[in-house]
Amino acid sequence: MSKGVLVDITKCIGCDACTVACKMWNNIDFGENARFHAQERSEVHDKNAFMLDYKNWTKIILHKPEKNGEKVWRYVKFQCLHCIEPGCVASCFATALRRNENGAILFYPNLCVGCRYCMLACPFDVIKYEWEKTFPLIAKCHMCSTRMEQGQAPACIGVCPTNVMTFGDKDDMLALAKTTIQNDAKYVPHIYGEKEAGGTAWMYISDIPFEQLGFNTDITTRPIPEYSYDFQKYTKHAMVGIGTLLTALFLYTKRRNNIAEEEAKKKNN
Amino acid sequence: MDKQKEPKKDVSRRNFLKMMGGLGLVGATTALTGCEHSKEPIIGDFNQPLVGDGWVPEQYQTAKNWPAQVRGRIPIHPKTVVLDRNDQKCILCGQCIEVCRDILSVFGYYKLPVIDDVVCIGCGQCIMWCPTKSLMEKNDIAGVQEALADPNKFVIVQTAPATRVALGEEFGMPAGSWVQGQQVAALKELGFDRVFDTNFSADLTIMEESKELYKILTGKYDKPLPLITSCCPAWVKFCEYFYPDLLDNISSAGSPMQMLGAIAKTHYAKKNNLDPEQIYTVAIMPCTAKKAEIKRPEMNASGRYWGKENIRDNDAVLTVRELANLIKTNGLDLNTLPEKDYDPVMGKSSGGGLIFGTTGGVLEACLRTGYYLFSNQDMPEHLLEFTPVRGLKSVKSASLDIPGLGTAHVAVLHGLSDARVVFDAVRRGESPYHAIEVMACPGGCIGGGGQPRTTLPPSNDMRKLRMNTLYKKDAAMNLRRPHRNPEIIDLYRNFLEKPLSPLAYQLLHPVDFKSRADHIQALDHRRKV
Ligand code: SF4
Ligand code: SF4
Ligand code: SF4
Ligand code: SF4
Repeated sequence: MSKGVLVDITKCIGCDACTVACKMWNNIDFGENARFHAQERSEVHDKNAFMLDYKNWTKIILHKPEKNGEKVWRYVKFQCLHCIEPGCVASCFATALRRNENGAILFYPNLCVGCRYCMLACPFDVIKYEWEKTFPLIAKCHMCSTRMEQGQAPACIGVCPTNVMTFGDKDDMLALAKTTIQNDAKYVPHIYGEKEAGGTAWMYISDIPFEQLGFNTDITTRPIPEYSYDFQKYTKHAMVGIGTLLTALFLYTKRRNNIAEEEAKKKNN
Repeated sequence: MDKQKEPKKDVSRRNFLKMMGGLGLVGATTALTGCEHSKEPIIGDFNQPLVGDGWVPEQYQTAKNWPAQVRGRIPIHPKTVVLDRNDQKCILCGQCIEVCRDILSVFGYYKLPVIDDVVCIGCGQCIMWCPTKSLMEKNDIAGVQEALADPNKFVIVQTAPATRVALGEEFGMPAGSWVQGQQVAALKELGFDRVFDTNFSADLTIMEESKELYKILTGKYDKPLPLITSCCPAWVKFCEYFYPDLLDNISSAGSPMQMLGAIAKTHYAKKNNLDPEQIYTVAIMPCTAKKAEIKRPEMNASGRYWGKENIRDNDAVLTVRELANLIKTNGLDLNTLPEKDYDPVMGKSSGGGLIFGTTGGVLEACLRTGYYLFSNQDMPEHLLEFTPVRGLKSVKSASLDIPGLGTAHVAVLHGLSDARVVFDAVRRGESPYHAIEVMACPGGCIGGGGQPRTTLPPSNDMRKLRMNTLYKKDAAMNLRRPHRNPEIIDLYRNFLEKPLSPLAYQLLHPVDFKSRADHIQALDHRRKV
């Protein structure tokens, strides 16, 4: 049974319990500055990007859109949206990305060849490489797949003091979203993730139009894999040939150069 | 991001190429045949996806969609000057948000969505409840050290009433130990140029506040009753958030901390030929909300006096914990320091000023001087122990017959959630009280958010010990009535003239009614959004 999450943006107070829960459950270190979250907030994020990275699979971003002529604060929780028909899965010839029976898009690190096709294929800009590692891997939210197998909600959901997120069967969550926005005039009549990219497991409702909260609303409602069919056909043939190896070598060398440059920069600083 | 299940291998260029070859083929085979399972693992298990291998507290291991009973944590303003949190230490135990909701009635008492703020009154009680010390005050030690090291700065420090019954705990003494003299000695050792007592300016606050009450009750001042105390900045903030219509009831008098800073940078500077811009005023407080108070725009009465808006009444606030830290890092031990006295001109205080540190104390002190204002005679000795306003009951009310006035009805509130009943009554115009004292922290400042952490959560036993010491010391003092403090009398004679004089008003009442009215309007406007 496909699972889903409904995120009610109007309820979030920005405590960041969810992002800490994510790091705890997944054993991700906090980086150099464990006061990261509060500091991140001191800047306004009006950019059309969620700025996830391999150490931050979910983030709370503060936006300051206008409502009735006044600036208001809205916190947006962002993570992998777990598309029903995921572009990343379709783009990965190594099958390092797969969708499981609960609807979570899982990443198989040992299969990944580091080609970055998935990065390009993701319509939400979720997938990011680990830049610090010599052999780059992707890292992303896996919707706490092992918790879901136990019948538990993802870690970030249960810790939320204001119940921003509701977890359940995908169909129920969509129905809940519909009744919620129908019964309360404050919501904009749009369920983000109902149709975007062909539908996603994580859906959002809000009192502010989504384009003002950093969401990409230009996204097609056609499932992303449809676009990659041609590309997919091509890769299947190409990869058995020497072409793949050369591409990989090229990427690898480029990657090494990047690292060298980065390190040189660090030293110079 | 150490997420892989497999032992991490350093991938050499050769290994990488080998791997690439292998992966390309395996991946290709898998993709071409549509086979879900790969064959021979080259490194690690191909069928092991990335999954969580950490932990979360047991309460979150609940089936289905049940939210844990105790969960989450408090939100912190991105530009907070009060709180700091180390996310790495936070275990999401939910204690901070429990106290914020249940004791302070802040979290959960505002409408969602948020407007443009993180609703927090800065009381710091969440710090006292946090089991891992993930939550802390914003550390301001560095700024103070810098000022101390600067030969051009004249650094003045003041210590709040409640600090002297708590600091000792940081040095292994039992709760409630009296360390006033040692604290002064330590501050002098640390290099502060003058050590003054906030108890002195607590007396000053009483002079202004009781005069204000006197004027209201005698019809000379147009201000609604009851008069509510203003010295707890967390309460003032709470009032702005939740009861903006009661802001007019709050006394216009500044807090003792503000008053001392303002006098230091005006009268004291003049008398001692000091450039007010050279003076750096530090306040040792049991309180975290004071860190926000000094940053409020109106807290530059001395600056306005000199026509230099950038002069702030107080430049830094250190909590008792931060002071303990500073003392310890300087290699001093409170246990072995000799007792020293406060510096003159702002070092003497009455017992009334001293008991400001505990719930009920401000009101009791206010009555001691108010009694004199109405009856022109000193309060009789037996009334000096005004027990109905003492103790740890969250809502205390009492009546007192004062010659020249009749019966005065007063209430004392601390820990804000129970206090809401009284605020609601005031709002409906049903309160019988003439004056109300409000402190945000349970027990008043002796239980403040900047005090040493003792038991977790803080217990009433600890609060009682600290409180009893204050009352014992008050009882032992000869000088118990604020208006009899000789230094206060001198200050009025030589500088301020009399309570509520235009100069006193300018320096000691940083908020005037006009700006409060504007503020109320602004808040009303925002609530409509
Ligand atoms: S835990 Fe809930 S309220 Fe806190 S930041 Fe996350 S979504 Fe927002
Ligand atoms: S400082 Fe006080 S009001 Fe602010 S979050 Fe902590 S307990 Fe709540
Ligand atoms: S009390 Fe401390 S450890 Fe517990 S949730 Fe709050 S900040 Fe985290
Ligand atoms: S009761 Fe005292 S310590 Fe607590 S917030 Fe108010 S002034 Fe600060």
